[in-house]
Amino acid sequence: MAICCEASDSTLPLTTGTLTIALAGNPNSGKTTIFNALTGMRQKVGNYPGITVERKVGRCRLPEGVDAHIIDLPGAYSLISRSPDEVVAMEVLRGLRPDTPKPDAVIVVVDASNLQRNLYLVSQIIELGTPMVIALNMMDVAMRRGVAILPAELEAELGIPVIPVVGHKREGIAELKAAILKARIAPMPDWPLPQSMREELTVVGGALAIIDSAEGLECEAAGLKRATPQEAAHPNQLRLDRYRAVAERLLVGDRAGDLTAIANRDPVGSVLSSAHERMTQDGMDPMQVEIEAHYRWIELISARCLHDVDELAAMGNEPPSLLSREPPARKPTVSERVDMVLVHRVWGLLVFALIMGSLFVSIFWLATPIMHAMESAVAWLGHLVTGEMDDGPLKALLSNGVFDGVGAVVVFVPQIAMLFLFLSILEDSGYLARAAFLMDRLLARVGLHGKSFIPLLSSFACAIPGIMATRTIENRRERLATILIAPFMSCSARLPVYLLLIGVFFAQFSAWTRAGIMLGLYGMGIVVAAGCAWIFKKSLLKGAATAFILELPTYKFPQFSQVSRQVVVNTWEFLRRAGTIIFALSMLMWAMAYYPRLPEAQVQKIQATARTNALSAPATSNLLGAAQLEHSFAGRLGHAIEPAIRPLGYDWKIGVGLIGAFAAREVFVSTIAITYAVGDNEDALPDAMRHDTYSARYGPPAGRPIWTPLVAISVLIWFVLAMQCMSTLAVVRRETSGWRWPLFMLVYMNTLAYTLCLLLYQIGSRV
Amino acid sequence: MERQCAPVGRVGTSTYKAVALNDLPVGRAGRVLGILAERELKRRLLEMGFCNNVRVEVVRKAPLGDPIEYRLRGYHLSLRAEQAHCISIRPD
Repeated sequence: MAICCEASDSTLPLTTGTLTIALAGNPNSGKTTIFNALTGMRQKVGNYPGITVERKVGRCRLPEGVDAHIIDLPGAYSLISRSPDEVVAMEVLRGLRPDTPKPDAVIVVVDASNLQRNLYLVSQIIELGTPMVIALNMMDVAMRRGVAILPAELEAELGIPVIPVVGHKREGIAELKAAILKARIAPMPDWPLPQSMREELTVVGGALAIIDSAEGLECEAAGLKRATPQEAAHPNQLRLDRYRAVAERLLVGDRAGDLTAIANRDPVGSVLSSAHERMTQDGMDPMQVEIEAHYRWIELISARCLHDVDELAAMGNEPPSLLSREPPARKPTVSERVDMVLVHRVWGLLVFALIMGSLFVSIFWLATPIMHAMESAVAWLGHLVTGEMDDGPLKALLSNGVFDGVGAVVVFVPQIAMLFLFLSILEDSGYLARAAFLMDRLLARVGLHGKSFIPLLSSFACAIPGIMATRTIENRRERLATILIAPFMSCSARLPVYLLLIGVFFAQFSAWTRAGIMLGLYGMGIVVAAGCAWIFKKSLLKGAATAFILELPTYKFPQFSQVSRQVVVNTWEFLRRAGTIIFALSMLMWAMAYYPRLPEAQVQKIQATARTNALSAPATSNLLGAAQLEHSFAGRLGHAIEPAIRPLGYDWKIGVGLIGAFAAREVFVSTIAITYAVGDNEDALPDAMRHDTYSARYGPPAGRPIWTPLVAISVLIWFVLAMQCMSTLAVVRRETSGWRWPLFMLVYMNTLAYTLCLLLYQIGSRV
Repeated sequence: MERQCAPVGRVGTSTYKAVALNDLPVGRAGRVLGILAERELKRRLLEMGFCNNVRVEVVRKAPLGDPIEYRLRGYHLSLRAEQAHCISIRPD
């Protein structure tokens, strides 16, 4: 099988300085652990331009003083695919991405406990003709299952170095580094194809040879022209291998960027279509024949390389028998036994509810004291800085602008960090796939995916990490649908608004009724989200039903280093993306509420009235604050939008509150507090709101209370449904790489909220 | 669903009975006879290892009845009934 085993040892062009090494492998093969072990902390994490596939590059020092850039490719089952992750892996390996140089060598991480399916990717990478090394990971898991693989045997079968590693224990990493320098082009295996397909391949290969010899240079991209030392030693054989590999890809219908041009050129194009026709007439699907041939080759290899541990020990070095079928009495693996509970129809759901419940509880309760502590720390710092300063714009800018802005950002950090901690533990352990498995049925009804569950659940804390977590959903339409409805989940920033309004206007009801109203608000968000998802999947995001093919990987203990890295990277990303916007908007809101200043004459008039009514100093300053806010740009804007929000039952003060909510929803409460002249004393807010009445200038009926329960419900519904969070929009822009979807979100959610509130108030006030 | 997959019945003139994979009861196993699905799904299923004559075991159904967990080639994979329907199986 091995055609050219005696090729020179080193195939890498060591003269070029830094090598580019790609790290490929199936999802769940432990690739990331090996990447971390190879590169340590010398990593750069970013995104491939224009898409949200994570791009990780690390530096690694190889023996003999060679430096290498290691590119951690996204996990891929196959190189022919439409999922964005797999497309990136394919494009980098083929050298089709302008942002990444074609790798000098590929390390393929192979999960020894799942050899066959992992070798399928290997069989595809072999055909690329790039020098490769195999990192045989999770040997320990395989051994525990009674399966042993002799790396030397696999090495002989494949003709490339095979290095056993245990990623999380860093075993074999030094050997792997040394082996990178010995990476070699694997000899093309003789796939067990049917004779007729072999003949067609020879014909197509011949056509390729013709255009290659005539105008060879243009075929460079497809890997036809690559002069390596190994190739120099066996020019003809390797050249024929490349023709055969490209012919195979063409015949099975792979039209990756570099192949399309060749497929359309004559004589290849015409030869290809007639070959395809002949095979179809014989009742053969080239694609199926090819994949099955790869797998048959894999079965042969794994039969020769997989040994029963006990058998091997008993036989010494004797060649073991073929293990062509499953061992007769297979004991369930640890992972399978765990799954007997975790995805059990009763216990599984119970454990699921428990895990999700504790996630939820810890985000709300565990994070709250930390949030308060951080907030007070920022406030204390603010006092420290501004306490000695004279009143004036600078002090106001620092205390109400800068420090409140910073406070508004850091208040989210504990929650976000905790959420990412949970998410990465769930993902690393392998439970995330089980959660998707358990929940898929519910979500499939509205056209979503089992993997939509966790992002939606996260959105109850904050939509931003939720939207970031949708990256695990491979299908674009399902991912978009999940992103579009995620903000309907009532995030923690809405909670203060809910608490205030329910507390003020439903105080006469029992605690249970009030809890029921609260639950109703959360429920309303979920119901509307489900409806919208269903409509989107039927209209905007319509398409063929997408396949749900989900691997349930072996459970693993999450690695502390990996989890903490995830938490830090994602929290930092939140701070960078959302934090800057929240901060900027807080500053803008401050400026809008501070300028223009109230004229001195009016200030004195208010102070005079306060004196005649014998008001206390704080009450006077609250009155001044309220007057200032009404006079400011924010107040004027509130008045300006009043005609638009009057039909919903809102007056200008609620308008100002709504404008403030664009910085962050909970700002509504503090803004309303200022307009009601209660200042920092929010305990006094409910009374002030209850006693607020329409003045005569609004026309009849003057003296009617502004805040009726109907208005309160209308505001509550507005907060459930409206898109008010600019940071969410910014994150959506980034995740969907464009303004199209965030703008759509802004329009559809606010239209929906406005319409519903309008109907409610107009009908409600007439009944 | 019906758009994607033709109903699976007896295969050709062979004597063994073929069932759709989603109809195979939990705990039973069988061998793949073929896949009837649109091209992308067929490719995906083949690449995940559902080749002719591969042994597939039904491990369990999700608590709500769908998706279904299978075991093949030594690993675990779940499919919605809709996709499993496209794979015809000869029960052991």
